[in-house]
Amino acid sequence: MAAVLDKNRPSPEWIAELRRRFPCEAEIDRVLTRKLERRAGPPYAPVSLAQLQAGTEALLKTQLATPFTVRDCRWLSGGASKLQMAFTLDWTPPGAGAVSTPLVLRMEPSEAITETSRLREFQIIKALEGVVPVPPTYWIDARGEYLPYPAIVYGFAEGVTKPSASSSGVSGVGTFMPPQVRETLGQQFVDHLAATHRFDWQRADLSAYDRPAPGTQALEWALNHWERVWEEDANEDVPLMRLTMAWLRRNMPPVDHVSVIHGDYRLGNFLYTEDDLQISAWLDWELAYLGDRHEDLSWCAKRPFGHLAEDGKTFLIGGFLPMADFVARYEQASGLKVDPLRMRYYDIFNNYKAVAIVLATGYRAPRNGKTHQDVLVAWITGIAYSLLDELRSQMAEVL
Amino acid sequence: MELRPSFQIPALIKSLTDVVLPAVDPANKLALEQGQLVVGMLHLMAQRLPLQYRYDRHELVSYVALSDQLLTQAATITEAAAARQALTEAAADARALLARAGAEPAEIEAANSLLRERVGALITAAATTADAAALRSINTTVMTHAEAQLLRERAWVALQGWEGPAAALPAVETLIAR
Repeated sequence: MAAVLDKNRPSPEWIAELRRRFPCEAEIDRVLTRKLERRAGPPYAPVSLAQLQAGTEALLKTQLATPFTVRDCRWLSGGASKLQMAFTLDWTPPGAGAVSTPLVLRMEPSEAITETSRLREFQIIKALEGVVPVPPTYWIDARGEYLPYPAIVYGFAEGVTKPSASSSGVSGVGTFMPPQVRETLGQQFVDHLAATHRFDWQRADLSAYDRPAPGTQALEWALNHWERVWEEDANEDVPLMRLTMAWLRRNMPPVDHVSVIHGDYRLGNFLYTEDDLQISAWLDWELAYLGDRHEDLSWCAKRPFGHLAEDGKTFLIGGFLPMADFVARYEQASGLKVDPLRMRYYDIFNNYKAVAIVLATGYRAPRNGKTHQDVLVAWITGIAYSLLDELRSQMAEVL
Repeated sequence: MELRPSFQIPALIKSLTDVVLPAVDPANKLALEQGQLVVGMLHLMAQRLPLQYRYDRHELVSYVALSDQLLTQAATITEAAAARQALTEAAADARALLARAGAEPAEIEAANSLLRERVGALITAAATTADAAALRSINTTVMTHAEAQLLRERAWVALQGWEGPAAALPAVETLIAR
């Protein structure tokens, strides 16, 4: 029987072929290529808080001219992708007096369920300071020179991802938002999305982002990105995924307004303070890119990221608003139209992307012992089949 | 179907070894000992699982041979007539079963994998055709196959609870019955 390609030990020829077949943004190409080049290497080795503290101190020594202390290091939970350590920094910022600042170190494992660039994440959060609530960014170890793997340091934001009394599944999926929080938080949920999509990125320092030409280039890059991820990481091929990608490529809608796309805008990826119901920070910008707003609009409307209202029939986006209300408020806040045809396109695009993440990378990374929580990533793989079935229903409508 | 023991067991071992066991209270000797035994048992399972089917088949061959020898040697023992008859029937059933027990599970998994890859490549290549009728026909076939395939896969992971009871998924046993 003919041998199937060994993706656990990628050859230089195969990597080169993938790069040629799926041209995407330069920084995304860099991190995906690095992932493949490192794949045959050792699995992720547990990192202690002491190691992270020492690495953080080494990074800060290159950035701070005055004495400082890193203390009270502790793990933060949440998310399926990156390691996070909270700590307090006693230091003297330039031009200011001595202060104690609560901070977060966010570091990659050896391979993550989403392989992304810390430089892109750092730049986009910094660019959006003052536009939407984001944690203040401080420092970056873009290539893992001081820490075991690439990492960023940003401010610790107060707040919760879900009501303290609420339960939820992995990564915030299945959270119930009670009626008394929906109006206040729901309006901010819409306003922040609108502000992100209206943000003038042309003048921002986003050197790690390629700037797409008008038309379909942004979408072509995105399709190449996710098809490349599928090719690199999938164990078993899935005919429906092939059919879907062919349809996506045949039906690319031009982008009418290139926006900053969060890439994972949803319940579970923002913090809010429970006493005044104010969103204090939008998190997890690692999938951000310049593209079509309908990706975020469709993504946040996915069923796992919301729930039914008390009538048992009306689906609430993010647990906040029915679709019609959500769209009306978004158009009002952004001045941008929501096109139902493009929503349908990005519904399909988003399911392809979600399956690539959970079924392809969600298999490959723990298969090689590459993450700090292989058992969680392996568990998440199981959601792929309901996502694929939803994709099948969507494809049945368009074929 | 990706959620199979060869993928799951190493993740369980890594989680227990790297995260859970180091966090167990050193004073709780019972928990520590049992945690280490769980890891040891999982290692044994991971090592032996690929051989399980071959082991059972080999054992069956061996017992069929033993049965044949004993039946010959006890052919004239009248006190064993009933037992001989029962063993004769069981050995015949086992021989018939062995005739059907051909390929190893790993070979079937590899064949599935190769076919998935080649089917996918065909779909991608065919997508560029200008023959709209052929394309429609391929699309219909793939979609029909996907419906049954995904029902099996969703049923396989139903215990994880991604879809909830409202999905009313059939038992996977009914979907893979011959």
